[in-house]
Amino acid sequence: MRVERRVTLNADRDTVWKVLGDPDGYPSLLPHLQRWEAVTEGPPGVGSRYTVLWEVGAIPVGGIVEVVEFDTARDLAWISITGVTQRGRFRLRDAGPGRTTVTFRLAYHSDGGLLGLIADRIAARQVGRSLSESLKNLQRLVES
Amino acid sequence: MTGVADILDWARQQVAKRVPKADLDQRDPDYIRDQLPGLWLLASLYFRADVRGLDRIPAEGPVLLVGNHSGGNVPPDTFVFTLAFCSYFGVERPFYQLVHNLVALYPALGWLPKFGTVAASPDNARLALESGAAVLVYPGGDYEVYRPSWQRHVVELGGRKGFVRLARETAVPIVPVASVGGQETALFLGRGQGLARLLMLDKVLRLKSLPISVALPWGLNVTDWLGHIPLPAKIVIEVQEPIEATGDDQAVYDEVVASLQAGVDRLAAERRFPVIG
Repeated sequence: MRVERRVTLNADRDTVWKVLGDPDGYPSLLPHLQRWEAVTEGPPGVGSRYTVLWEVGAIPVGGIVEVVEFDTARDLAWISITGVTQRGRFRLRDAGPGRTTVTFRLAYHSDGGLLGLIADRIAARQVGRSLSESLKNLQRLVES
Repeated sequence: MTGVADILDWARQQVAKRVPKADLDQRDPDYIRDQLPGLWLLASLYFRADVRGLDRIPAEGPVLLVGNHSGGNVPPDTFVFTLAFCSYFGVERPFYQLVHNLVALYPALGWLPKFGTVAASPDNARLALESGAAVLVYPGGDYEVYRPSWQRHVVELGGRKGFVRLARETAVPIVPVASVGGQETALFLGRGQGLARLLMLDKVLRLKSLPISVALPWGLNVTDWLGHIPLPAKIVIEVQEPIEATGDDQAVYDEVVASLQAGVDRLAAERRFPVIG
């Protein structure tokens, strides 16, 4: 299941990257996060790992994720190492002078065959809401 | 009377012999992973579960999770907490649940060991803790799950202090796990302890209760041995602060019960209606 939300912000890419390029600050950006802890030490970059748990339905869902793409002011992507299989990405692109379009994508897949498919589909609405709220938070942070 | 005592002793030995020694290798993380989506659907949509305070559980190492138990022979608190623990810490963290001997022997539940479920015995619990695992135990067991529904917010561990000795001997912290909602999945009318004693089930099968309830699909349900369809009561679970088993048994036991009762009281105060939550 892939969920995607997009927003165009009145801020340049460097300003937006100051927020998105610092995963340690994601708890103030991403709603419904129950746990976000750095597993690795040092500045964020490719190979950085975090324990991430989102409140989805009855329980926290997630696991350990690893940053696999850290392209300054362009892309930040991660994949899951444990827990629900997921790929996430923030994608920053120019949208005219002083403006940036940010795309937030989350692709995830639960095991368990048919029940996994149903769970993924049911969770999609809540995941979509979380992504939308994240982008609203981002807008508030960079445009204020 | 000697003849009756001999028969009871023989029957007790037969049951005890059949209680399987825990084979921790039967736990299968991939199997658990496959089951989590189905359990998540059940917990989220049917029981509208809410699990809090998982961050109070030590992030690694052995720990003895001690819960209050509700819901007769279909206790939703066990699977909801198992689901939450496995999601929060990952299926990779070894986690075992202790169940009544008869549950471990029940043929229809032969898949339980894959979840890490083992028969409740001091030896099995010690084996799991010494392997570094988290262990979930419900000391109140069959005594607590059959309490009347109007006592649903009363923690009753029945004075069973074995878990305190276990925690002390293995030097692991006790983490109380309070839950509400399970005793609203049917109308539990009473334990039927007198009837259990009359039929000598307490001596033969370690069953101190012969409970009576009104439950789906049976209507009047005696024993609950075949289980029932639980009503969709909202299940709320809250993990409490860890307790070290350093005092004497009674003091630690009292502290655990007080912690559980305080948690249950707090969660109960949030409920406006039975079942609905």
